[in-house]
Amino acid sequence: MSRVGAPSLRTGLWVVLVVMVGVALGVGASRGSGPTDPRQQADALDAVLRCPSCDGISVAQSSASTAQAIRQAVLARARAGQSDGRIESYLESRYGPGILLRPPVAGATAWVWVAPPVALAAGAGALAVVFWRRRRRRLPDVTDEERRLVEAALRDRSPVPGTPPAPVPS
Amino acid sequence: MTLLDAGGVATGGAAPAPPRRRHTARWIAGVVLVAGAGLVALLATRPPQAATEVDTPLVGQQAPAIDGPTLSGGSFDLAALRGRWVVVNFFASWCPPCQQEEPDLVAFAFAHRAPTAAALVGVVFNDTAGSARAFMRSEGATWPAVVDGGGQIALAYGVVGPPETFIIAPDGRVVVHLDGPVTASSLDGWLARARQGST
Repeated sequence: MSRVGAPSLRTGLWVVLVVMVGVALGVGASRGSGPTDPRQQADALDAVLRCPSCDGISVAQSSASTAQAIRQAVLARARAGQSDGRIESYLESRYGPGILLRPPVAGATAWVWVAPPVALAAGAGALAVVFWRRRRRRLPDVTDEERRLVEAALRDRSPVPGTPPAPVPS
Repeated sequence: MTLLDAGGVATGGAAPAPPRRRHTARWIAGVVLVAGAGLVALLATRPPQAATEVDTPLVGQQAPAIDGPTLSGGSFDLAALRGRWVVVNFFASWCPPCQQEEPDLVAFAFAHRAPTAAALVGVVFNDTAGSARAFMRSEGATWPAVVDGGGQIALAYGVVGPPETFIIAPDGRVVVHLDGPVTASSLDGWLARARQGST
């Protein structure tokens, strides 16, 4: 059995995987860029607004009076044709940026958005370096003679000297 | 050294451990007990809550409208008080800090009863009109209190929970936002500071 084609096949699989992840991320980022129905728009916004008098839950999840008031205001503004950004900035002008469960991209919270892709890129880079080094280190260790020996051994299925015999099933 | 030797060394000299463990448990129980007693003492002796100034986005901006029916059956419009200092207090009858501050608000309203002095107005926060009316009557509060149906006035002011108090300058800007129960003297202090800041 020859394994000459294996590295190129593996590379191809990696490329396919990377392309699939890229496409999935692209589709996910571009999807849901604005429901046209005011009720849907309000529901989507309620899910990303923090209930100001609760502990870490969204306006959509809370029955507190402040959350109810915000739900009413969001729906009224959505029905008036206001965009998500405009409604969010109105609520920010009342409660501050903490009203958004999704932290803003600017300022001190920017690292929340920047860190994951940077960490992902760094991790991928580190893995690539490790694999590359391992491959470089391993290649000279296996000669063609040794490869032929291993392939012959696998074909014969003869036990390797020094290993204990396989257990007999009872 | 063989494995047997190692086993002999490891087990041969071991002393019984149970008494030591019992002491450890006693120590942990003692520490937990002392910490618990300290926490109870801290909570029992801490001073009553006081209002603190909060820096919210509304400070420095034009005060949102307060326009609606009052508990006494009349109507109120904040715009009619333009040119005067106004103290807006969000309250509820069910809120203990609101009950704590109410006598002080009565004293403040009495001290500022002159027609040109600072005006006090309440906004009912998540409470029934009947309960809020009974609460104000029992405390002797006579200033107008606006019914906030749907909580939209509270939302416009970014109120999270009562009591919250705002000082509005004669030009209609919010200059102070206080969170927690106020006292008559602290309110006078904030008002004096706001007056100094606006001159």
